[in-house]
Amino acid sequence: MSYLEYNVKSTPTGLRKILYMNWPLTLLLASVAGVGFLMLYSVAGGSYSPWAEPQMKRFALGLAVMTAVALVPIWFWRNMAVVAYCISILLLLAVELFGTVGMGAQRWIDLGFMRLQPSELMKITMVMLLAAYYDWLPGQKTSRPIWVLIPVMMILLPTFMVLKQPDLGTAILLLAAGGGLMFLAGVHWAYFAAVIASGVGVIVAVFKSRGTDWQMLKDYQYRRIDTFLDPSTDPLGAGYHITQSKIALGSGGWSGRGFMQGTQSRLNFLPEKHTDFIFTTLAEEFGFIGGFSLLLLYSLILLFCIATALATRDRFSSLVTLGIGINFFLFFAVNMSMVMGLAPVVGVPLPMVSYGGSAMLVLMAAFGIVHSAHIHRPRHRV
Amino acid sequence: MIRTPLRPLARILAARDKGENPDTIERENIRRRHEAMRDKTRARAEGRLLVLGAFFLLAFGVVGGRMGALALSEAREPVASAPGARIAAQRADIVDRHGRILATNFETHSLYAQPPLMVDPVAAADGLVAVFPDLDRDRLIKDFTGKRKFLWIKKRISPEQKQAVHDIGDPGLLFGPREMRLYPNGQLAAHILGGASFGKEGVSSAEVIGVAGVEKRFDGYLRDPANGAKPLQLSLDLTVQTAVERVLFGGMKIMNAKGASAVLMNVHTGEVVAAASLPSFDPNDRPNPPTSGFDPSDSPLFNRYVQGVYELGSVYKIFTAAQAIDLGLVNSDTVIDTAGPMKVGGFRIGEFRNKNYGKLSVADVIVKSSNRGTGRLALHIGAQRQQEFLGALGLFEPTPFEIVEAAGGHPLKPKNWGELSTVTISYGHGLSTSPMHLAASYAAIANGGYYVSPTVLKKSGAQYGPRVMSANAAGQARDMLRKVVTSGTASFGEVPGYEVGGKTGTADKPRPRGGYYEDKVIATFASVFPSSDPQFVLVVALDEPSIVAYGEKRRTAGWTAVPVAAELIGRVAPLLGLRPKLAAGEKAGITLTSN
Repeated sequence: MSYLEYNVKSTPTGLRKILYMNWPLTLLLASVAGVGFLMLYSVAGGSYSPWAEPQMKRFALGLAVMTAVALVPIWFWRNMAVVAYCISILLLLAVELFGTVGMGAQRWIDLGFMRLQPSELMKITMVMLLAAYYDWLPGQKTSRPIWVLIPVMMILLPTFMVLKQPDLGTAILLLAAGGGLMFLAGVHWAYFAAVIASGVGVIVAVFKSRGTDWQMLKDYQYRRIDTFLDPSTDPLGAGYHITQSKIALGSGGWSGRGFMQGTQSRLNFLPEKHTDFIFTTLAEEFGFIGGFSLLLLYSLILLFCIATALATRDRFSSLVTLGIGINFFLFFAVNMSMVMGLAPVVGVPLPMVSYGGSAMLVLMAAFGIVHSAHIHRPRHRV
Repeated sequence: MIRTPLRPLARILAARDKGENPDTIERENIRRRHEAMRDKTRARAEGRLLVLGAFFLLAFGVVGGRMGALALSEAREPVASAPGARIAAQRADIVDRHGRILATNFETHSLYAQPPLMVDPVAAADGLVAVFPDLDRDRLIKDFTGKRKFLWIKKRISPEQKQAVHDIGDPGLLFGPREMRLYPNGQLAAHILGGASFGKEGVSSAEVIGVAGVEKRFDGYLRDPANGAKPLQLSLDLTVQTAVERVLFGGMKIMNAKGASAVLMNVHTGEVVAAASLPSFDPNDRPNPPTSGFDPSDSPLFNRYVQGVYELGSVYKIFTAAQAIDLGLVNSDTVIDTAGPMKVGGFRIGEFRNKNYGKLSVADVIVKSSNRGTGRLALHIGAQRQQEFLGALGLFEPTPFEIVEAAGGHPLKPKNWGELSTVTISYGHGLSTSPMHLAASYAAIANGGYYVSPTVLKKSGAQYGPRVMSANAAGQARDMLRKVVTSGTASFGEVPGYEVGGKTGTADKPRPRGGYYEDKVIATFASVFPSSDPQFVLVVALDEPSIVAYGEKRRTAGWTAVPVAAELIGRVAPLLGLRPKLAAGEKAGITLTSN
C-alpha cells in the first residue's frame, strides 16, 4: 500500500497539524537538550557563555526547523529524497573542494552564521533515499542482486567521500545506518552474512597494511585502535581521553559529586569536554543515576520512533522513521561506548547534548520527518 | 490494460460455466494475492524489526551495565608506564658475616620542575632559593620562564626539604620517588663496599648501579630481582673491621705515614675478615677520581691493599727458606755462609747497613734478615723452581679477591729472570705485589702448605687449594717466623699470649723516573698468629713512615709497621675469638695450703 491509498482527508490540515505532532517525543527531545544545556553550563564553570547560550539558540532554531518539516506532508519528503541526496553529495564534494580544514580534517563548509557539516546531513538524506527506494521497489525484487547493488552504491558513495575527509567515525555510522535500513527492508540474510564475512576480511587487511606503503588508515587511526585495545599502554598519550573519562565515571560513583562539582572535567583533565566527552561530565556530576537516566531518555526516543514506524502503513514512512531511529541510536550508543572504553575513540558527538551546530540542527530536522510521518499516518476516522 | 494471467484457470472456467463474471473473480484473486504478499512482507519486516529491537536491547544492556560497572569502580589515577621507565628497584642489601648491615637502600625524592605547569615562576624560584640557598635565583627564573619543559632541580632531597618545597605550593614543582644507596657505617670498609650512583634516571624512579668495590663486582646479583632481595653476605666482621681501621689510623698518624693498609685473613678459609686502606672516604659521598698529573695513590679512592703493588722487601725471604726446606736442600739448622763480598751478574749484594753476619743457620738468616743468606739459598734453588714456587703462591697474577679493583693489582716481575733476579727476588726486590698477595702467600705457610684464594664472601669450612709446600716445610717456616718476633727484627711484635710470628720488610719506594728514593720506604709486617696453630694472617703496610727513636730517624718495618701490627693483634685477637695462652705467672703472695 502506498501513500496514494491514504485517505488524505483523514489527516489534519493546516496549522492544526501542530496539535497532532508527537508531543511526547518533542518533550523527550527538549529534556535531552535541557540536560545538554546544564552540562554545557557546568563545563564552562557556571556560565552561559561560551557554550550553553549558543546551544539554546540553536535548539530554538532546531525546534522551528523541526516544526516546519513536520508540517510538510510525508509524501513530499518521499519525493524530495532523491533531490536531498543529490544536494548532500554535492555539498560533500564542495567540502572536498572548498571546505575548511579543522583538526586535520576537511569537514565543514562555513556558511557565515554556522558551520555546516554535510556528512551530518548525509546521514539523514541517505536514509531518506533508501526508504524511498524500497518504497518504490516491488517487494519481491528486494533480494535480487541487481536491486541490492543499487542501494549498496547509494551507501558506499557518500561513505567513501566521508572517509576521504577523513572522518572514520561518520563513515562507519553511515555504513551501519545504511546496512541497518537494508536489513529492515528485508534484504536476504545471505547478503549480510557475506558482508560480515568480508568485513572481517577487510579488518584483517587493514591491520596487515599497517606499515606498508598501501597503508589504509592514518597512523593516528591505528594508534586509536591500539589504544582502544589496550588503553593502559599510553595513559598520558593517546589513551588519555579514555583513561581520564573512566576516572571521571568512577569518581562520579552511584549518585555523582553534585552539579558543578565534577573535578575531572572542570579541572581541565578532560579534552573535548564540551563536545564528544560531555557524557563524562554528566556521569561525574550526576553519577550512575544521571547517566542511566540519559540512556533511558534516549531509549524512549528510540521507542517512539519504532512506535511511529509501526503505526504507519507505507514503507517510506516506516523505513525513514526507523532509519532515523537507527542513526540516533548509533549516535548515542557509539558515543557512550567510546567514552566508557567499549569502542575506539572515533569522534561521534552525544546527540542533542554535545555542543555543536549542524549535528543538532540536522537531527532536529530528521525528527521533523518522524513527526511528519506521525501526523500524516493513516487514520480510519478523524 | 494488461491482464495478468489468472490462476487457478479451472476455477475461472467453472465460474464462466455457471455464468458468473470472471472479472470479479480476477479482482478477488488479485486482492488475495496482494494481501498475501503484503502480509508476508509485513511479517518479514516485523521479524527484522524484532531482531533490530533485540540488538537495541542488547546495546542498552551493555552500555548500561558498563556504566554501572564504571560507577562502582574505584577512581584510580593511572601510573605512567612509558617504555623504558621500568627501572629495577630494591637493590639487595650487603651484610657482614654476622648479618649486620653494611649497605642498604633508602627512600628519597628527587625534585624537578615542569615550567609549563607553573602558576607563579618567580614566587616558585624565591621559595626554592629559601629552601636551597645554593640555587641561583636568576638562573631558576630564566629556566622557569623560558621554553624549557622539564628540568631537574635536585637529585636527592630530605623529607624536610620535600615538605618545604611542597609548602611553596606550585604545581610545576614535582617530586620523583627514588631509592638511594645508604652506607650506615660511613667510611667503614669503604674500599670493599665501593659505592653506588644513579644510572638511568626517570621521573618516577632511578636505577642504582654499583660503581666500585663489591657493589660493582656483584652488581648483577644485587639488582637481580630473582634473588628476592636476599642480602649479599660478606666475610667481613663489622666489629673487627672497626677495630682494624681505628688502630691502623692511629698507627699511621704516630708513624707519620702518608698511607697505611692492613689485611686480616683467615688462613684456612681465605675469608678476609677485615681489610683497610687509609686514607679512606665515605661511600655515601664518593669523591671524584683524581684528574691527571696527580699520583693516583694519593687519592683516597686508591685501594692500597690490592692496587698498591710494591716491592715488599724482606717479607719474601721466608718463601726462599720454605722452598729450600721443601726441596730438601736444607733444614732450618743448616749453616750458611753469609759473608761477603757476593757478586751476582756484576752487582754487589750487600746487607742492611753493610753488616756482616758471618756463618748463620737458615733460621738465623730469616731472623737477622740476611740478604746474602737468602740469595745463596735462591741460587741453590735456581730460577726455574723459584718461579714455579712463587707462581703457585699466586704472586704473578692479580688476586682473585672479589672487588673490581683487585683485577688492577697486577704484579710486576722482571722480563728476564736471570741469576741476578733470582737473588734479588729471594729477598723481595724485583717482584712487586700487593699486601693481599702477601697475605694469601703467608696463609699457605700458616695453614700447613695449602694455597687459599682470598675472598670477600663468607665461606664455611676450610677452602684449601692445591698444596704448594710440604707440611714439614710450612712448619719449619712457621717456627722461623715466630723466632723473628721472639729474637729478631720484629721484637716489638710480641703480643703476650698470642704467639705472633712474622717477617718484616722495608723496601725503598721507586722513583717515578727510575731508581729509588733514599728516604721513602714501604714498611711491611706480615704476621701469623697464634704460631702454634695459626688461624689468621695479618699484613700491615705503612707508606712512607718515619719516626725518631733513640735520637735517630727510623723507617724500618721493625720500628714502624711491627708495633702497629702488634697493637692491632692485641685488639682484634679477642674479637676473633682467640684465647691468649698465658704462661703461669708467679703466684705472688698466694700460698697453697692444705689442712
